[in-house]
Amino acid sequence: MFDFAIAGVQAPFFLLVLVGLTVGIVGGFIGVGGGYMVTPALIVFGFPGYMASGIDMTHICGKGLVSTVRHRQLGNIDWTLALSMIAGTMLGVELGIRLLVYFKNLGISGVVLLMTSVALMFTLFLYTQFETRRAHKKMAEMEKAGEKLGRELQTSNLPKFFQTIPLAPIIRCRAARVIVSMWVIVLVGMVTGVLAGFLGVGGGFVRVPALVYVVGASTHIAVGTDLVEIVISGAYGALRHSIEGNVDMMAVLFMIAGAMFGAQVGSIATSYVRGPAIRYILSYSLILATLGAALRLTYVLTGQSVEWLSLTAVVLTLGEMIFLCLFISSLVWFAVRRRGGKWVPDWVAPLVI
Amino acid sequence: MAEVNRGKAAFKFCFWLVVGVALFGYIIYTYSSGRMIQWYYYTASLDGYAVDANLSMNATKEKPAVLSIRKQDTVDGLVAIPVSKGDRLPKNANGVISQAELKSGKRAVVEGQTVKVMIPWQIKETKGFKFKDTFKHKGIKTNPWAGAWNVAMVLALGVSLGLLAEGFTDLVGWKIGKIEHGH
Repeated sequence: MFDFAIAGVQAPFFLLVLVGLTVGIVGGFIGVGGGYMVTPALIVFGFPGYMASGIDMTHICGKGLVSTVRHRQLGNIDWTLALSMIAGTMLGVELGIRLLVYFKNLGISGVVLLMTSVALMFTLFLYTQFETRRAHKKMAEMEKAGEKLGRELQTSNLPKFFQTIPLAPIIRCRAARVIVSMWVIVLVGMVTGVLAGFLGVGGGFVRVPALVYVVGASTHIAVGTDLVEIVISGAYGALRHSIEGNVDMMAVLFMIAGAMFGAQVGSIATSYVRGPAIRYILSYSLILATLGAALRLTYVLTGQSVEWLSLTAVVLTLGEMIFLCLFISSLVWFAVRRRGGKWVPDWVAPLVI
Repeated sequence: MAEVNRGKAAFKFCFWLVVGVALFGYIIYTYSSGRMIQWYYYTASLDGYAVDANLSMNATKEKPAVLSIRKQDTVDGLVAIPVSKGDRLPKNANGVISQAELKSGKRAVVEGQTVKVMIPWQIKETKGFKFKDTFKHKGIKTNPWAGAWNVAMVLALGVSLGLLAEGFTDLVGWKIGKIEHGH
């Protein structure tokens, strides 16, 4: 047990390192901060709610930077895309926070927040899952036919529509190999920023699908570029939380120590898989987070009388982290086996490189 | 795949290792010595009594924690130090029990030269999760520079640990180059 003097709680530090490690793996792989997983975990360890949010946001900033350094080396960041999005993201985050304050004043922020989370995450899960299944099937067929498979394949027609919007200035994102109106990128940043500010999260789980399905970036580029946004919005959030006194730096330090290793595993793991594999993991993380949020929503709507709903939501959230880490590790393991010419299941073969 | 220069990799690894260890050491030292806390817990944001909220955490209505009201620079034990809005907090104080709270008399009350804490924590809820809400961190205005310091430290840690890991993989000869993003 470690005595966290600022947070005023005693908590096992190795659990914080472990949370940092697991969220680092998942975050580095799918390009999310993991706030929806870390905050509940910290509350379970005894941290007050406001401290849990502050510690989470500050650790996301540091962890995001560790992952960003590695994704930069892997060439997964499109700086034009990232920098064009920043202004929209910041504006969106501020609008989202104001929207949250508005609902807070009406006294319905908790219910609205959970309802929006459930509706949004479930919709994103359905779209990502169906599109990825189509892409997976197509890749399997191409592989059977002996055709050469690229790193990425996505079957959505949405990017084509958004890339044809003739609104100047049109910019070329070299790494993402995309030519698109800057206003589309700014709008993506702003809309995802509003959701991030309103839901109090980094927004990666909305921004990565938006970059893939609206801008038309490959999944790897979306992950790396989104991490740059997470560092910036995380730094802003960390500053606001720190000024409010909601950050215990020692807890942040333990989590970053774990995240340092996790982020490496997650980031490097992206080089072993094709785009659809990352989108699968993202969609599974979305449905698990949806279930957790739905349970919490039911708990709130039933007047907080059914205790097991809250407990199940916590167990589900913590179980999700372990499940996703195992899924990512198994994909890397299959990729290594495949590179060595060994057998891998048919459904895995098109997903790994 | 990228070619790796081992000498360069060794320098990169050692340099960022030193920076990372120095940052960790500095944060741990300022935290454990109480410097960070003193710097962080800055001034009282309302009139009341500065306390160490941890010491009254086990109090109940039947067995209240009795804090003696004293005027001193340090909270040492069961002590409540009167503070006005804007006063620098005494050492070891981590919360302020407000005059409004004391007047309502529900959770704590002033009796002669003592503050009796009867309900040190209550259950609150955020985002559908419950947590113990205490007098800790209440009535405190933090140092805004502490916020900037936290962000600067976290960014410095992120860069140093990221480059340390990069240096390590270069050093052990694990060639990680840019990947092809072909559609």
